[in-house]
Amino acid sequence: MTASFHWRLAEGGENLQRAMRGLRDDPAKALPDLAAQIHFCREAERVGIDALLVDINYAKPAPMVLALALAPHTRRLRFMVAHRPGLMSPTLFVQQVNSFSALAEGRICLNMVVGHSPDEQAYYGDFLEHDPRYARMEEFLEICRGLWETAEPVDYSGRYLQVEGARLNTPFTSPKGRKPQIFLGGNSKQAQQAATAYADCWLRFGEHPQRLASAIAPVLKSGTAVGLRLAVIARPTRAEALDAAARLVDLSRVGDKSEHEHLFVNGSDSVSVQQVYKMAADEWLTPNLWTGAVRTYGPPNVALLGTPDEIAQQIIDFESIGISHFILSGWPKLAEMVYFGEEVLPRVRRLEKKLDPAFPREISHA
Amino acid sequence: MNQALRFHWSLSQAGNSRRRSIDPKKMSGLPSLEAQEALCRKAESCGIETMLMAIGFTRPDPLLLATSLGLRTKSIGFMVACRAGLVSPTLFTQQLNTLSQLLLGRICINMVSGHTPGELRGYGDFQDHDARYRRTAEFLAVCRGLWRQKPFDYHGEFYRVEQARVHTPFHGGAPEIFVGGNSEEAFQLAAEHADCLWRFPDAPEVIAAESAPLLRTGTQVGLLVSLIARPTREQAHAAARASIKPFSEETLAVHRNFANKSDARGFRSVYRRAEHADAWITPTLWTGAVPYLGAPAIALVGSYDDIARDLWEYREAGVRQFLFMGRPDIEEMDRFGRQILPRIRARERVSAGGAA
Repeated sequence: MTASFHWRLAEGGENLQRAMRGLRDDPAKALPDLAAQIHFCREAERVGIDALLVDINYAKPAPMVLALALAPHTRRLRFMVAHRPGLMSPTLFVQQVNSFSALAEGRICLNMVVGHSPDEQAYYGDFLEHDPRYARMEEFLEICRGLWETAEPVDYSGRYLQVEGARLNTPFTSPKGRKPQIFLGGNSKQAQQAATAYADCWLRFGEHPQRLASAIAPVLKSGTAVGLRLAVIARPTRAEALDAAARLVDLSRVGDKSEHEHLFVNGSDSVSVQQVYKMAADEWLTPNLWTGAVRTYGPPNVALLGTPDEIAQQIIDFESIGISHFILSGWPKLAEMVYFGEEVLPRVRRLEKKLDPAFPREISHA
Repeated sequence: MNQALRFHWSLSQAGNSRRRSIDPKKMSGLPSLEAQEALCRKAESCGIETMLMAIGFTRPDPLLLATSLGLRTKSIGFMVACRAGLVSPTLFTQQLNTLSQLLLGRICINMVSGHTPGELRGYGDFQDHDARYRRTAEFLAVCRGLWRQKPFDYHGEFYRVEQARVHTPFHGGAPEIFVGGNSEEAFQLAAEHADCLWRFPDAPEVIAAESAPLLRTGTQVGLLVSLIARPTREQAHAAARASIKPFSEETLAVHRNFANKSDARGFRSVYRRAEHADAWITPTLWTGAVPYLGAPAIALVGSYDDIARDLWEYREAGVRQFLFMGRPDIEEMDRFGRQILPRIRARERVSAGGAA
């Protein structure tokens, strides 16, 4: 088996101190930075990244539009566009996705998120609570599936969403199939259920492989892939990697990290965000899996830390329990991605050749 | 007021001038990007300010199509159609603002309230005609709040947002807003929220009378009309007759069907008029193609001088903007740019000189 490696699109430049002052409110993130982002996309493509994740929140450009602007500057790279159901008619959403596919050779996949901040949801006019948001996600994806998979007009009458005779003349077009690949994140039971029913890949934050193995077994068994959202701190030596990690955290102490943490965690109703914060207390999950950056940068930043050999082995350990997608980010954004692609990825590919292809399936039956 | 007339063109049938004669369910949702790009480039050289990007289940999403075309062109603007009720005003504004940053402000919006309940239900929209207009007004109120770039609350009949904000600003502050419609509700909405109302044409004196109340509110009036312009009036009439020749009874059924299903007053009244009355509303305003191509096929037919004179008469009646269609668009646009526009601009110069 070979895993797919995705990276988070750089937004808001490379100023670390500014990034630390607040995760979301940095005004530098609000504007597209086409020249730098085009370069980032081309480098991603060159070093073997499959898709770039384009986030959604109120402080950034709209991901669907930004991604489409970047797509013509690459040939193979895909864009993993984030979307929250509840903000748009599923029919219009599918129309946008299908239009994107027609305008950019099908190079779009989706990161479906329910949102984790009630305050932010209210900016968008969405006042639904955590659990119903997942129920609505399932209804939303049921309608999308109908529009992608059947030629007949779609009728659907759910608790949150209704459509009657829905049809679109613009189909999803891609060399890889008639519908986009769907990544769906969240650690809650509801997220797992929605991912199993509707997604190609369930996304989770990083955890110890052993703990992860039992949590993901039922999902793998259902035929849904599992992916991890992780940060990367790879350096030629372990000492350099530790040094880089320390600097990320030390610098943060210049700002008021406890205030930031307080704001982020207390403002969130996401089960996974709360879980990962608890876990960060004992900073090392394995010698190469460090949670020390989580308090400063948030749960997506459980970090693969070490030399290229160490990180490649850590990735293989995850692949051995059935993880097949990795959505990564690092600092400095561009340099970390290029170093990963040039130094870590080739090692992973060599190690993958020795993996027993049957292994993940055995785990999932255990 | 001596401000120059402004001209826009519809992109909706680029590459297939008979598109509107096809059963909507069979229209291609993948129109040729090359033909659209060519029409946009042509427009840039013909004095056209923006291209109308229509919305509906038969075509790609207008905002995304505008993104692609905008990045392939230099100066042409895009008038992106939007239906309130399909998207959170906050997400819509975020998408539009993002596009405005990418195109340095080359976009404006055309708020439409939908015209076919059957199609709207496919998008999950079950509101009736009048409620749709009330909702569009609320939608625009929220969008305007976001363009002011200060968090705000809004509690309406259809929308509620709290501390709403998006950080990506609209390039230049806020977009120009057009509203399409011919009903009393549309006039009301335009008076309150729009820079300009698009309506179907009628005789200049009718337009003058109907527009007066709206013009007093400071909202402009624009006409959505097809063009059939030729060197002589005889040639134009021959072209008009030839343009409907290829159509069959089947095509008539498509639009009879559409008119019956639509709850848009403008579409229906233009259509009924075309079916039951003389095809000439004025010596140059022709409804002969409407039964085959729908209400937007109502056309100004005549010589270059005729049409330049017509546009000027509409200007006197208070009209400041025009949204054209042609078949084929690219040839009609060329005739407009070479023949009609220079006549209008010359007359504007004389008029401005006389006023000074």
